[in-house]
Amino acid sequence: MRTLSLAWLLGKPTAARRAPMLLTAGAYGLVSALVLTTIAGALSFNRIQNELSGMYLMLAGLACVLLIVPLAVLGSAAARLSARSQDLRLSTVRLLGGTPGLVLGITVVESALVAFTGAMAGIALYAGMAPLVGMIQFQGSAIGAAIWLNPGIIALVVLGVVLIAALSSGFGMRKIIVSPLGVRNRSQTPKPRWIRALIVVGLIAGISQAFSMISVFKDLAVMLAVLLGGFALGVGALNLVGPWAVGLIGKAKLKKAETPEKLLAARMILENPAQAWRQVSGIAMTCFVAVVGGSGAALMNMAGTESSPGSPDALLSADVMTGVIITIVVSFISVACSTAITQAATTLDRAELYAGLNMLGVQRSTMEKARVGSVMGPVIGVGLGSIIISGVLVLPLAGMAMIFAPLSVAIILGTLVAGVLAVRGAVALTSTSQTLKLVRID
Amino acid sequence: MIEANSAPEQAPGTIFSHAASNNPTQHSSAPVLSARALRRAYGSTLALDGVDLEILTGESVAIMGPSGSGKSTLLHTLAGIEKPDSGSVLLASSAGQQDITTLGESARSKLRREAFGFVFQSGLLIPELTAVENVAMALMINGLPRAAALPQANQWLSALGLAGMEERRIGQLSGGQAQRVAIARAQVTGAKVIFADEPTGALDSATGTEVLNVLMESTVGRGNTLVMVTHDADVAARCDRIISLRDGKITSETRPGSPNTIAPGAQH
Ligand SMILES: Nc1ncnc2c1ncn2[C@@H]1O[C@H](COP(=O)(O)OP(=O)(O)OP(=O)(O)O)[C@@H](O)[C@H]1O
Ligand SMILES: [Mg+2]
Repeated sequence: MRTLSLAWLLGKPTAARRAPMLLTAGAYGLVSALVLTTIAGALSFNRIQNELSGMYLMLAGLACVLLIVPLAVLGSAAARLSARSQDLRLSTVRLLGGTPGLVLGITVVESALVAFTGAMAGIALYAGMAPLVGMIQFQGSAIGAAIWLNPGIIALVVLGVVLIAALSSGFGMRKIIVSPLGVRNRSQTPKPRWIRALIVVGLIAGISQAFSMISVFKDLAVMLAVLLGGFALGVGALNLVGPWAVGLIGKAKLKKAETPEKLLAARMILENPAQAWRQVSGIAMTCFVAVVGGSGAALMNMAGTESSPGSPDALLSADVMTGVIITIVVSFISVACSTAITQAATTLDRAELYAGLNMLGVQRSTMEKARVGSVMGPVIGVGLGSIIISGVLVLPLAGMAMIFAPLSVAIILGTLVAGVLAVRGAVALTSTSQTLKLVRID
Repeated sequence: MIEANSAPEQAPGTIFSHAASNNPTQHSSAPVLSARALRRAYGSTLALDGVDLEILTGESVAIMGPSGSGKSTLLHTLAGIEKPDSGSVLLASSAGQQDITTLGESARSKLRREAFGFVFQSGLLIPELTAVENVAMALMINGLPRAAALPQANQWLSALGLAGMEERRIGQLSGGQAQRVAIARAQVTGAKVIFADEPTGALDSATGTEVLNVLMESTVGRGNTLVMVTHDADVAARCDRIISLRDGKITSETRPGSPNTIAPGAQH
């Protein structure tokens, strides 16, 4: 009770805290809307009643697994922003004699409330997008009314978002409570180690073994489970090498850096390669799917149009293409939003430093360029790296697609470029001056 | 702009070679900064209410006064960080005198980067960078290549007693060490005038004294000019002159060396 009343008293959104709170709630809203839409899209395949229905469900499951990572990153970025904007106020609570438990209680309650508000907005957004999304065609007919989820599932998603928000803010806060200075000073940098690369090689070997045996499994459910499990393992493997790879990008940039903004950008990446990786991990997987799925779909499409247009198989290829593009779009929206949130949070954290550096004659543009470089460097490096590696992995497929279906390849590449531009836009939107203006409304 | 970096007196090996800070320096030289009739209002508050002040080349000036009396506003105006509502700040340079209050933001920003150095209470160091990179950054922003900037920055750090800590990040330094990095950064560009706003305000008194020694020796000890806001009378007593402010006006001016107080505006 005491927790609740204190949380209410201190949690009232003052002008300075309105901006971070709105950002956080907005992020949760977007996550909820995207999750609801994705689930609805996946479930809508239930209406497909032919020999391909199992295939469709499997592909939808794959897309969902793929989108979990960027959406989870977005959710945790939101949670971290909310925790950060609470820092100062909470240290006041502690100074006034509040116990760590009380501080934790306030944080969790407030984060849950903000997430709930966001989730409600997310439902509205989902409902608003539904007519548009319903127009997307699979197996020759629009999704239509199948986009509407039943209220039970919607309630589950809301509950999930609120729970995740509460839990992650609780964990985030625990670190601050243990070491109040840890956040500000960040004296240790987590160092990803090369041993991870070994683990990953092992995992990949295991996965390819499982995939090669896939025809042995007659039962569709088992096959689906193996495929999804294998994919999840792959994602896990990627997350082990990712920070290390991003660290390599940072080191290469540091070595080459000649201008202050490039030096700073490289150091910002190296400050926390794991976090930089988390931001762009969705892109790595999306690019992989774009190359493999896209090449496959492009070639199937070609074969399909030659045989019988309108047959389920011909439609399948077009649908895989649609699915790949949707996955790219959703994934990049999430990455762009989590980038915006992380950038805003960092800038808010550093308001005093940025204003001070400006006094010293360091121009805003220098800091801006550094910030842009620290985000876009990993985005482009990881994206290109992933495209090249996946291209090599399925070289015959990708090569044929490029020769025989250049238009499909161009569409996919265009979507990827648009995605990268969206992330760049998010960085521009959260320029330091914009972000600081947000806080200065009061 | 870079030419100052290669001036022989900047070679940090010689930083303290004429650190004769005990000898009262003769300031027969011309003023490097002269402020006339500075006025600055924030709403109904007069932060500066007709301030006249001359800062001579090579002297150290302490600005004291109660909280809210306009010390920081005066420092910011002298340094071209803020523009006054009226009045002028003349800066003497080899090219003659220039009223910096008439310059646009980007010209003042350039001036702050190249001609002035700053040491603020909170250091304002970039946490992602190492100590030496923070210092080198000031040179790189002025256009010096990284390969030339790093050795100069290193020399400054060793001269200020930070040898061996060059590669540490700011979070791995103590408050006093971080403040020395800030002092190195303020001067590595060859700045002739150093502005400090409570540079020891966040330090304990022993560390504060050490940092103050380093600051005095590396600035006025080398013939440069120091303008410093402070709350601490002991810190102020180390300066050539103490200016006291109240409600945006200079109320008194003392020379710690001699007991007599000079009325405002009556200098030279
Ligand atoms: N940006 C601003 N907006 C509004 N008022 C301001 C602003 N900056 C300074 N003031 C006001 O101008 C007056 C002088 O402020 P200044 O910061 O120069 O004081 P100070 O002597 O440095 O105080 P302190 O010792 O507390 O640092 C104060 O009344 C302050 O409230
Ligand atoms: Mg002040």
